[in-house]
Amino acid sequence: MSAQLISMIKQAYYWIGPPVIVFLLVFAVWEISVRLSEIEDYLLPAPSAIITEVLTNISDYAFNTIVTIGEAIGGFVLGSIFAIIGASIMYQSRFLERGLLPVAILIKVTPIIAIAPLFVIWFGFGLLPKILIAAIITFFPVLVNCLSGMRATSSDITDLLKSLNASKSEIMIKASFPNSYPYLFASFKIAIPLAVIGAVVAEWFSGDRGLGSMIIRANNNLDMPQLFGAVFVLALMGVVLTSLVIYIEKRVLFWHDSQKVENEIW
Amino acid sequence: MQDFDIKTNDKPTGDEVLNNRIEISNISKSYLSSNGVVSKVLNSVNFEIARSEFVSLLGPSGCGKTTLLKIISGLIAPDSGEVKIEGSSPANSRRDKSIGYMSQDPALIPWRTVYENVRLPAEVNKAFTNENYRTVEELVSLVGLDGFESHYPYQLSGGMRQRVSLARALSINPKVLLMDEPFGALDEITREAMRYELLNLWNKTKPTVLFVTHNSTEAVLLSDRVVVMPKTSDGVITNINVPLDRPRSEKIEFTSSFIQLINQVRNSYKCQPN
Repeated sequence: MSAQLISMIKQAYYWIGPPVIVFLLVFAVWEISVRLSEIEDYLLPAPSAIITEVLTNISDYAFNTIVTIGEAIGGFVLGSIFAIIGASIMYQSRFLERGLLPVAILIKVTPIIAIAPLFVIWFGFGLLPKILIAAIITFFPVLVNCLSGMRATSSDITDLLKSLNASKSEIMIKASFPNSYPYLFASFKIAIPLAVIGAVVAEWFSGDRGLGSMIIRANNNLDMPQLFGAVFVLALMGVVLTSLVIYIEKRVLFWHDSQKVENEIW
Repeated sequence: MQDFDIKTNDKPTGDEVLNNRIEISNISKSYLSSNGVVSKVLNSVNFEIARSEFVSLLGPSGCGKTTLLKIISGLIAPDSGEVKIEGSSPANSRRDKSIGYMSQDPALIPWRTVYENVRLPAEVNKAFTNENYRTVEELVSLVGLDGFESHYPYQLSGGMRQRVSLARALSINPKVLLMDEPFGALDEITREAMRYELLNLWNKTKPTVLFVTHNSTEAVLLSDRVVVMPKTSDGVITNINVPLDRPRSEKIEFTSSFIQLINQVRNSYKCQPN
């Protein structure tokens, strides 16, 4: 075996090993407890029952997963774009920051549960209300982090650029915006699972597609294996999406202090 | 290393002398602190720097050295007085990109390579980028960093980062190079080496330099003239000429005239009233 392959396996084990061991232990305890205490399926199904359920209806789960993931990512991207534009505007002017930040906070404090039914009335039963709710839930953390990151640019760097008469937008493009990347990725890691929650909550109120609708249906039918199956798939989706963000972060932020500890271990 | 054009002219005539120097006339600046007290940092500061002169600005911390440097570079406006850099205002000099600025922190952009950092001044305010600029390759070899062009700042030592910062400041062929304690954050061994590297580089390119420091040895070693700032704004500015031959090497540090000059500089700030 080449040294490179050994290193790859080592690295894979480094990341995947610990969570796999923890989950296997939890499932084992769960499975054994359910079997020993003879709890009924409609109260708490054993992991084996849930896995069987998911595998027998795999095409159903796949379709609904694609719908929910599409809504979550669509909302996440839309919300992030608006948040970054908003942060850029606020960065240019303290006046606009004072004016717009209360609006952003208002959007943040309004409970999604309260506006979701309203969005169904306004935007119908299709994908749009789900994407919008995921976008709203993404907006605030990305906005606040992006703005903090831009404001945290070293004054020595901005002074240097000002001494060259760089324009405000040049300073933003060359220094402030890239300086906010570490903050942005931190907010993405918070926002991606939130976007999934937003999409699921929106699905509860309308439509018959997506894992959220599946959960409601299963609940109404007291079909616990299906309910748990949908929850499992959602959890898996959250893990995969967050891991994806972390993977991209490692590529983009190779220069940042936050990425150095791992480099030293290897 | 290659040879570089020396930018000094032949004997200048009267008008050219006026247009070839940096004039700092009657600069005053006060700050309003948060408790409402007005503290005067600079009170009618006057001095001049000739083209290709190396002037050190020496004084205790808090005496307004950095403020003065920022006024010269147009980053802050003085309450009164005027700065002329070869005949033009700081605002115009900034617009023409004729001010090279170097701070104690190397202020390199961490996601850019050495090459990209040195190229930064040419990338902004493009209307005033011209072919008079030194090439990045030339600058990198000038500061002795050949082979490090594609390294990132986090892969460099403190001294190397500061050399990149110097290369970046020189890239626009500035009319004046403003250096704000550039070696202040370096360890003593690196700092000594950097002083001689700067001397060597200055000999090759002869830029006009205003160098802020609070180290009298550094000031005497590098400069043609040391401007000693008073502790408080009521005090007077002392000019001390450094008539030591150039190029200067380590040997100079053991000569009596060098030691005498350092003592003269020290006495001038010790005699200041408190």
